[in-house]
Amino acid sequence: MATTTGHAPAPSHGQDTHGKKHGLNAELIGMLLFIGSEVMLFASLFTAYFFIRYGVSNEVWPPLKQNGEPFELPVMLTGVNTLILVASSFTLWWGEKRLKAGDRKGLIRGLWVTILMGGTFLIIQFNEYAHLGFTPQDRAFSGAFYALTGFHGAHVAVGLIVLCMCLRRVYKNDFTATQHTPLAAGSYYWHFVDIVWVLLFLLVYVI
Amino acid sequence: MSFWWRRAIVSSVVGVLFAFLLVFMLRAIFGLDPLWQGNVVATVAGLFGGIGFLYGIGCFDYWLTWAKGRPISSEDHSFHGVSNWKQYFRINTDHKVIGIQYMTMTLFFMVVGGIMALLIRTELAAPGQQIVDGQTYNGLLSMHATLMIFVFAVPVFGGIANYVLPIMLGAKDMAFPRLNALSFWFLPVSGFLFLASMFTGMFGAAWTAYPPLASQGTAGQTLFELGVQFAGASSIATAINFLATIITMRAPGMTIWRMPILAWATGVTSVLAVFATPFIAGSQFLTMFDRVMGTNFFVPDQGGDVIMYQHIFWFYSHPAVYIMLLPGFGIISEVIATFARKPLFGYRAMAFSMVAIAVLGFGVWAHHMFVSGMAAWLRVPMMITTIIIAVPTGVKMFSWVATLWRGKIHMKAPMLWAMGFLFTFLIGGLSGVFNGIVPADIQLSDTYFITAHLHYVLYGGSVYTVFAGIYYWFPKATGRMLNERLSQWHFWLTFIGTQITFMPMHWQGLQGMPRRVVDYDPRFATVNAIETIGSYMLGIATIIFIYNVVISLRKGDPAPWNPWRGRTLEWMVSSPPPLFNFDVIPQVVGGPYQYGIPDARHAVVFAPEKFGGELTEDTRYPVLVVANDTLASQGLIDEIRSRNADGLWSFEFLVPVGDDDRAVAERRLANTLAILAGYGIAATGRVADGEVIAVAGDEGKSRQPYEILVATLPTASSAWMRQDAVDRIRKRSGIATSHFVVRGDDARALTAASALPLTMIVATGAVGADALAAVIMARFDAQPARFTIICPLDLPQPRWGSESSEIRRQAGERMTATINALVSVGVQVQGEVMDDGPATALPLAIDAFGPAQILVAGVNGEAAALADAASAAAGETPVETVNLGAPAGSE
Ligand code: HEM
Ligand SMILES: [Cu+2]
Repeated sequence: MATTTGHAPAPSHGQDTHGKKHGLNAELIGMLLFIGSEVMLFASLFTAYFFIRYGVSNEVWPPLKQNGEPFELPVMLTGVNTLILVASSFTLWWGEKRLKAGDRKGLIRGLWVTILMGGTFLIIQFNEYAHLGFTPQDRAFSGAFYALTGFHGAHVAVGLIVLCMCLRRVYKNDFTATQHTPLAAGSYYWHFVDIVWVLLFLLVYVI
Repeated sequence: MSFWWRRAIVSSVVGVLFAFLLVFMLRAIFGLDPLWQGNVVATVAGLFGGIGFLYGIGCFDYWLTWAKGRPISSEDHSFHGVSNWKQYFRINTDHKVIGIQYMTMTLFFMVVGGIMALLIRTELAAPGQQIVDGQTYNGLLSMHATLMIFVFAVPVFGGIANYVLPIMLGAKDMAFPRLNALSFWFLPVSGFLFLASMFTGMFGAAWTAYPPLASQGTAGQTLFELGVQFAGASSIATAINFLATIITMRAPGMTIWRMPILAWATGVTSVLAVFATPFIAGSQFLTMFDRVMGTNFFVPDQGGDVIMYQHIFWFYSHPAVYIMLLPGFGIISEVIATFARKPLFGYRAMAFSMVAIAVLGFGVWAHHMFVSGMAAWLRVPMMITTIIIAVPTGVKMFSWVATLWRGKIHMKAPMLWAMGFLFTFLIGGLSGVFNGIVPADIQLSDTYFITAHLHYVLYGGSVYTVFAGIYYWFPKATGRMLNERLSQWHFWLTFIGTQITFMPMHWQGLQGMPRRVVDYDPRFATVNAIETIGSYMLGIATIIFIYNVVISLRKGDPAPWNPWRGRTLEWMVSSPPPLFNFDVIPQVVGGPYQYGIPDARHAVVFAPEKFGGELTEDTRYPVLVVANDTLASQGLIDEIRSRNADGLWSFEFLVPVGDDDRAVAERRLANTLAILAGYGIAATGRVADGEVIAVAGDEGKSRQPYEILVATLPTASSAWMRQDAVDRIRKRSGIATSHFVVRGDDARALTAASALPLTMIVATGAVGADALAAVIMARFDAQPARFTIICPLDLPQPRWGSESSEIRRQAGERMTATINALVSVGVQVQGEVMDDGPATALPLAIDAFGPAQILVAGVNGEAAALADAASAAAGETPVETVNLGAPAGSE
């Protein structure tokens, strides 16, 4: 076969080119690495938060707002919200398990519940913003608080969009028990978003 | 203008307008005053404009189609490869096209950044104000550094690796070709945002953008922050892509210990990029929030912390210096091994030291902050880690030097840059250790010593290595050779220019001249003037480079597949490579750097599936070997064997005879073919009457081989080279032509260890006789063989006496005469004069040489005695006898 002129059968772009079909294929490795970099993004924000908390300001904790009152965070409500988000990870996991068992309906149910719970989380979070009584402009602490929760909220929103797209694909019958890389990647992402939230809740709200 | 660019411009303008509208509307709705807030508008407009551009140029089309649920085909290759140069300006998913796009774009930014540097140097040429005021100077300095770091030094290696890495790994493309395209198109957006700041007031807080300075300033500072985000996104996306490619797309047999070092370097760099880059994204988000939303991250009396910025920034930016260096280390390893013709010394140590650098690199960031007022206890630990990280870097240095040690060094352009790198980077590395020591650094911080250090590191580590890479792979990527003379000029001007520009800065810094200043004490006038001259040399050198690229692209010599005789996979495909790199994915069977190891091979080529996927030796591309004097020489035979090991070539010999003896040429050719056949290498050949350039040039033109290989003696002793044969054959044939030099004794030496049968000639009196030479020649013509002449002497006692010495000397002379006579007619023969009589000597000789046949040649009756001794010693070996009549010299 001539080299410069004739071409071998072209490789296809996308999921079916390389490696194994199950297990860790290139797409999932890519997603894991992407999550790794997202983890570092949150790490940088947490760094900022801790510098502000323990760094130059030798103040009382929680620090004081500009009007002299201490910052107060609704720990109980957010705790419930946290449980909702964590639960949504499990429903997604359950849905995937149903798919692998060949039960597409189960996956659809799992996805719906996950998406609704994620949506609820966002709504509660917005509601919390509205009633907090301080804005990002208040003091450095409030900036850090909004940056962390805001970035996280944006990630939940992205995760929801991804899951919705997956749901649509499921209705179109595009995923099978062995071929569902986009769904697997989306669910990695969703679990990551949840784990970050648990950390955030513990480090910002609880302690 | 093409459809894509029209769409890109329209959609970015729409994005910007939409941003304006959005900001005004929201500000009006929420009653914010004033409606026009430059920073906010710049942020939103930059973001939407950038995304609009990426959408318009087509980066998202495929994914959007997918998201809409429309049918998509992963077999769609309409955006793969180019058929004319205009297509380089639109979106493409071919890693080779993206690699070239990357290189052009980053080099463009290097040139723009370089122009800024020349302006800086012009301003600094003398004390006082020359061409710009202080504010503009800050802008120039910031722009220079920002362009050099974020859109040149960091992404440039992504360009080189994009081009060569998939081929080196034996893959047809990167793991995610569309993501690859997106990573590239982030770069023009980023660079555009930086440069656009010239119209909004240049950002002036340097590339480090420390608050509180960075919290002030014009909207240009916001564009800087946004530009960094785009560059960072590009970096992360490519890094993920490289890692996925390295992990999942290696050719069969390519274990991680068989990967070229460049693959290691790219992998390690990518890990750094994935995990460190988010920190600079974070730091720029925070300053941006302070500027745009009015948060107080860096406002101390509101509980903010400015040192925090520096921690986050350097937690990226120290690893980033390794992002700017490690791929260069990889390139240098490739180049040095190839041009020293030796296996890379300490392959595993090279790989591990890179991993060590990456790991340690996360633990040294605060050495940039010794004088910042950070927590004092951090100083000493950071000093220690900084000194430790010099160790793996030293390991690499020594490995390169050890690779060079006793190598056959070829000082071609890529190798020159590698040598320039070793020198320059060594100095940068040493001054780095000074900076890492707390007490020294307290003196050196913020002086020109730092400027000197960083340029030695970055010029050596990024610019020199990038050029080494460009000169090394340019023939592969373009199918053209660069002009070597211009290349040498480019190197030497750059090298001398670098030293003149940056070497005196060490002294200046020690004397206390602060960095980042527009004016300085008059006592620094002379050094500054000298440095400015040096920087102009650098500018001229760059112009030479650009000129060289342009003329070489247009009418450079065609490049052979493997101009440097490299071993990695990219040299097993054509130059430039076919659309999907490999018709058939190669099978890797060994390490990549086994230069000089006989029969070692890195990879073999499998036949297409339809032939059963077996190893094939039939699909071979013809190489026309033009040789005469050097035929059958050890050097040429070795070269053919090592090329044959690629499994890609078949060899056709062409032996032009001008005035020389045709019979001689035929004999040499027959010998060569026989030797090669003995190695299982099928070659053909013919002798052609005529002058070499005409014969070879025309044969090349009509036969159209893949390459012409002209083998000659060293230029000084080669009649062909005196007529400049290689260049003229190349011109006449239009075929890639390379030159192989057979050095000195190699040309005449008996091909060692060849598989040809060895005939042992036993003669005493006959040695030196014309008749003996004639007999051997006749035998050779009947069937090519190797010959060894053994001359056993019955010396009188004492053997060290003068009589014996005389006999020995005469025999030696006669032996030399015979050998010379035979070699000059194209028969290869060696000889040995032995000190014992036949009865003692022959068993030893037969044992040592293991001849296939023994021929006894006697004069005047001595034949019978010799024959008896030979038969007694021979055992199974057949013995033949000829009687030559009169003894040597008696006629
Ligand atoms: C023509 C070649 C170059 C010349 C003449 C040059 C000259 C200079 C000078 C004089 C400064 C210091 C300005 C000051 O402190 O006021 C500077 C800063 C800088 N240059 Fe270059 N440069 C060149 C190439 C490069 C390259 C290739 C890189 C990186 C790959 C680079 C990266 C930087 C950086 C990062 C700074 C900022 C240092 C700081 O923050 O103080 N330069 N350059
Ligand atoms: Cu550093």
